[in-house]
Amino acid sequence: MKEEVRHFESELAIIGSGIAGFAASIFALKRGIKTAQIGNTGAVAYTTGYLDLLGKIGGSTEIITDPWKGLEQLQKNQPDHPLSRIPIDDIRAGFDQFTDFLNQAGIGYSAPLDHNLTALTPVGTLKPTLCVPATMEPGIRALSDKTPCIIIDFKGLKGFSGRQVVANLKENWPGLTTKRIHFPEMEKGEVYPEVMARALEVPATREKLAKLLKNGAEDALIIGLPAVLGMHNPDLVRADLEKLTGLKIFEIPTMPPSVPGIRLREMFEQVFPHEGLTLIPQQKVETLSFDDKGATLYLKDNYGPITIHAKSVLLATGRFLSGGLEAHITGITETLLDLPVTQPKNRTDWYQDKYTDSRGHALHKAGIEVDELFRPLGQNGKPYNKRLFAAGIILAHQDWIRARSGAGIAIATAYKAVETIHNYISEHSSAKE
Amino acid sequence: MSKPTIPTINFKEKAMELLPHGASFEACLTCGLCSSGCPASGLENMDPRKFIRMAMLDMNEELSTTPWVWCCTQCKRCQHVCPMSIDISQLVYIARGNWPQELKPTGIVRSCQGIQATDSTSAMGLPPEDFVFVVQDVLEEVRDTQPDFEKLQAPMDKKGAFFFVNQNSREPMSEPDEMVPLWKIFDVVGADWTYSSKGWAAENFCMFTGDDDAWYSVVKKRVDAVNDLGCQVWLNTECGHSYYTMWNALSRFGIESNFKLESLITYYAKWIREGKLPINSDWNVNNIKFTVQDPCMIVRKAYGESIAEDMRFVTRTLVGKENFIDMQPNRSANYCCGGGGGFLQAGMTEQRRAYGKRKFDQIATTGAAYVLTPCHNCHSQMEDIGHHYGGDYGVVHFWTLICLSLGILGENERTYLGPDLLALIA
Amino acid sequence: MHPPSNLTLSKAGEQVIETEVLIIGGGVTGAGIMRDLSLRGVSTLLIDKHDLCAGASGGNHGLLHSGARYVSGDLHSAIECRVENEILKRTASQCIEKTGGLFVAIEGDSPEFAEKFPALCAKASITCEELSVQEARIQEPLLSEKLFKAYRVPDATIDPFRLALENVAHARVTGKSNYRPHTEVLSFEIKSGEITAAICRDNRTNEISRVRANQYVNAGGAWAMNIAKLAGCSDISLLYSKGTLLVSHDRLAGHVINRLRSPDNGDILVPGGTVSVLGTTSIRTEELENVHPTVEEIDLNVKEGAAMMPILATTRYIRAFSRVRPLLQSTSGEDDREATRGFALADHTGQGLTNMCTITGGKLTTYRLMAEKTSDLIAKRLGNTNTCQTATTLLPDGEACKWTEPGASPKYWYTANDPDDMILCECEMVPQSAIDEIVRSAPGAEDEMTLEAIALRSRAGKGPCQGSFCGIRICSHLYDCGHYHDKTGLYHMRDFFNERFKGTRTIIWGQQAAQMELAEALHCGLLGLDNLVDE
Repeated sequence: MKEEVRHFESELAIIGSGIAGFAASIFALKRGIKTAQIGNTGAVAYTTGYLDLLGKIGGSTEIITDPWKGLEQLQKNQPDHPLSRIPIDDIRAGFDQFTDFLNQAGIGYSAPLDHNLTALTPVGTLKPTLCVPATMEPGIRALSDKTPCIIIDFKGLKGFSGRQVVANLKENWPGLTTKRIHFPEMEKGEVYPEVMARALEVPATREKLAKLLKNGAEDALIIGLPAVLGMHNPDLVRADLEKLTGLKIFEIPTMPPSVPGIRLREMFEQVFPHEGLTLIPQQKVETLSFDDKGATLYLKDNYGPITIHAKSVLLATGRFLSGGLEAHITGITETLLDLPVTQPKNRTDWYQDKYTDSRGHALHKAGIEVDELFRPLGQNGKPYNKRLFAAGIILAHQDWIRARSGAGIAIATAYKAVETIHNYISEHSSAKE
Repeated sequence: MSKPTIPTINFKEKAMELLPHGASFEACLTCGLCSSGCPASGLENMDPRKFIRMAMLDMNEELSTTPWVWCCTQCKRCQHVCPMSIDISQLVYIARGNWPQELKPTGIVRSCQGIQATDSTSAMGLPPEDFVFVVQDVLEEVRDTQPDFEKLQAPMDKKGAFFFVNQNSREPMSEPDEMVPLWKIFDVVGADWTYSSKGWAAENFCMFTGDDDAWYSVVKKRVDAVNDLGCQVWLNTECGHSYYTMWNALSRFGIESNFKLESLITYYAKWIREGKLPINSDWNVNNIKFTVQDPCMIVRKAYGESIAEDMRFVTRTLVGKENFIDMQPNRSANYCCGGGGGFLQAGMTEQRRAYGKRKFDQIATTGAAYVLTPCHNCHSQMEDIGHHYGGDYGVVHFWTLICLSLGILGENERTYLGPDLLALIA
Repeated sequence: MHPPSNLTLSKAGEQVIETEVLIIGGGVTGAGIMRDLSLRGVSTLLIDKHDLCAGASGGNHGLLHSGARYVSGDLHSAIECRVENEILKRTASQCIEKTGGLFVAIEGDSPEFAEKFPALCAKASITCEELSVQEARIQEPLLSEKLFKAYRVPDATIDPFRLALENVAHARVTGKSNYRPHTEVLSFEIKSGEITAAICRDNRTNEISRVRANQYVNAGGAWAMNIAKLAGCSDISLLYSKGTLLVSHDRLAGHVINRLRSPDNGDILVPGGTVSVLGTTSIRTEELENVHPTVEEIDLNVKEGAAMMPILATTRYIRAFSRVRPLLQSTSGEDDREATRGFALADHTGQGLTNMCTITGGKLTTYRLMAEKTSDLIAKRLGNTNTCQTATTLLPDGEACKWTEPGASPKYWYTANDPDDMILCECEMVPQSAIDEIVRSAPGAEDEMTLEAIALRSRAGKGPCQGSFCGIRICSHLYDCGHYHDKTGLYHMRDFFNERFKGTRTIIWGQQAAQMELAEALHCGLLGLDNLVDE
């Protein structure tokens, strides 16, 4: 039997399905660019749902309270940093558009404020972040108000212990207690957040859980749960549970695989095709080539070969985890086009001696270089191709982990790259095509 | 005779043979997305991540003998959600094949034997002459009793017909009237089609036994039948795994074929777009809600998004945009219902229903009164878990609802309609 | 958790512990001496400033030599190894996998050396069977195509962690002996040629204790010279050789694979249950603490190893480690690997001390013999006439000692088939019940036991994720059980990740780079362990 090649035409092909890729699709849709997005999902499913902009600068252990001021400082001290190359107003606009989209798509998010929020982690530490899912917001307020609160966790849920959260937070939050219950109909063995979240989409399960929560809440005014409040309608699930219990309820992220990341991924996969975007998730682009007329992407899925022709391409393939970069015993390479990668001279310099060194590791600052239009540079130091752009954490000169700036870099660079792509497409479509 | 035992296979070696290059089991990050997203997790105290890790830890004896391989429907959802795209189902297939015939679930084995027993390739053992008879008999009945269809055709062994149409044995065997809506649709669109007395059956349980030779022999018979008649398209009707077993086998075994494999869903969508199948949702005056079940075998494991989109296009046209509520998750990310992989035939009722709980929850969340699905195993499983967990939804074939919309659904063709739908056409 | 019955508090509030024999150093030799003496009816206290196998005992290939390795340079050691190999296979079989070993010559290696090898083995009575190149490659398909000679010898593998644990456990059940981790000797009190007490510090609590013993055994391994100096003895003179080894994700060979040539870098590959261990490099060092692999050592091992087995160039590595081996000063050859691996027992009478001895040098394979010789001396000094039993008495399976064996915990777990016994370390499939048992009763178990200590006694954290997920799961489980009730668990978790990282730092490429990126995003980006301020 002959394999049929499926072919798609687009103005922009986004390679990568991380936050940068998804953000780029949002911005491209908003600008009316005919877009295709391809790439395996990689790291999105591991995220907590928190959208960080900037939490720390330059290896300090000091937490930044005002990330916007922090950006000014960053621009002064680290001019090469991707966030230093984007006007702060654009970063703000990117965050606004991104969170607006999420809100419209059915996953409530807090709006970006002028200061970082202090968010909870599954082990009871605190983390600076800019925007959080609406399901987590009340916990942040309760922490700052020290509202009498009970963390209710579930038997069989590994890696989440209410006792641990309480032990690590009790100094800051005297009225914090904990209790363990059985999730309805999942009394035996291991339970997964994903499974509980999907079960809570069913009203009958919510009623059963609400009873248990109400009985377990004791004197608390607010209940903290591991993040299991529904997959597709988290805000509805939370509201319903609050109504049924008469108590405030919030979520705390769990360790991967966690619900908030899967929520985002599945939401994007639902919404984008409706918006007219060609989405080919879970597949890796095998080759990318350019000619006079545009770029051609080639990939294969279960069914067979697919080609995509595009006027422009955004490389948002991430780092090692998502496969945009590859580390070898001899050095770091970019996987799709073999773009030059700025990196430490030898492997000895990749890491500090101490893993949790607050200064971070040089390996993380490795990445590809871009010009002012966010076009990756080739071996000769000039843009690799006029149609090729890049965004996200594949870019050099940033350490998103230490700086708590993963979503910030993804969203801001995607915003900027799509803006320049839009300019490129409109210039060239009016002149030639 | 001594009691048969299950030989031990070296899974790591098998994995190396399967995946010499590219994605390998060695690439596993042990993150657990596979297990988190697998309805078989917890059954037999196993899950996909445990399966991989046990393979890596040389627990070959345990993996060779765990009954979990019969609970995993090989739906490949684990691979779909894996950032490293690791495919566990292939190891499960090998494990299944390794069980001695006597120890494999008898339901699956018997179905495979039935398929091999006659030229029909029918799991229920319906021989060619009986199939020809049943079709003729039902056809005459329709011609006699339904005046609009006096000239209805159900061609048999028609050389050079465009479509070679397969049929799940359940219809000719247990509910022959269910074939009629399909014939009527072909009539409406003016399709040039034929049944074949040989290789007409859709189901292929031999794949589920993990027996390559049996799988090959069945597919070969079917391919020969299509080639003999010189048809251009092997049209897979509303049965999920039959498509996958053919499509996958052609490349797996390198079988020569002179025709294309297509799904009826693709043609429903095409005929609607071309105006040949003039259906609409005007009949749904009470706004009865519908959802669709994406069979893994034709969506995630084969066509992917395109057929999922076609299925939704057909559904929206058929029931009204506002009356279609998608399950979550859906399309390629959809959960297997637990009817696939031979699970329905394996006799592991308790495990199968536990597996199906997630599907039940998905359906319950939509609040839909009916689930539409082009797959027999999905159909049976969803009915069963509906009864078991106290759901009040029905499961219907597309062909039934299409004929309903066209106003041509005969009285004997309404088995799966509930009172609400029956009331509309009374 | 197991306070010795003879523990009292002095007036100053400092702990006073009395025992017949204080053994300093929790390597396999110290553990072996503890058992040997206990079986002779002597009460002992074993201490280590870190924990069991923290030195060379825990940082080697886990190779139970047949002796063949030494036939060309050190016949005495070769014979010792052959004898001990046979004894241990009989008496400590639970710690041993009888893999057999191959000696392989690859194009470029000396054919003359290869030719005379069987004769040398014969001298030491070591069984040596020549295999055809074809046969060798059938048995070990990953061997280089450039193989031209292969011999099979009775090498085996041995799990030093389990070995030490079992020795301690067996000594404990005699009722008279105890083990205390993280207890370091600071000084000795000496009166007229006799040590009257060892002043020790608990390195976790900083509490000082005074151990009064009749006899003192210095089994400090690489640290033995320093310990002897604390007692004023200058008759121990050691050289230090640093070796670096790598652990691969998969087990790449069934046999121990030795390169058939004079000992050099990366020429032994030893299976360790489900993984393989490649090494070693050898460089002279003065540094005993904070010894870690360097990129150069790793690359050297990989390059040399790949000549023997090409897949070693591309396989996924999950860990590397370095340890310092103590070598006797008198035996400095060109290459430290060629130096005698013999041992020496110093009775220190020449230094004017009558109740201390030092055992040093040697190797894992001969640990029992070293323990026997030391115990003979101590028993004689104590007037104990019981003879050594360890050459014949089987080492029993001790409580909570079995969890270090690769692939063992999933087998227990699978057989028990209890869905509520959840797997906490998914890579190595270590269930909750194993962790509970270790915390409850493993040798060295104590309150607020660290994650590192638990990992040392199990396979937790030894798989591809190197503890990055299970560290979190085990920690939260320990909070659930009330093992932790304040921030201690958080610090233990961070320290555990930092400790595991020392072993991954130099091998983070390929798949491990993806694994580590995810780990760091989780540990630092989310949990903020990089921001944890020491209290």
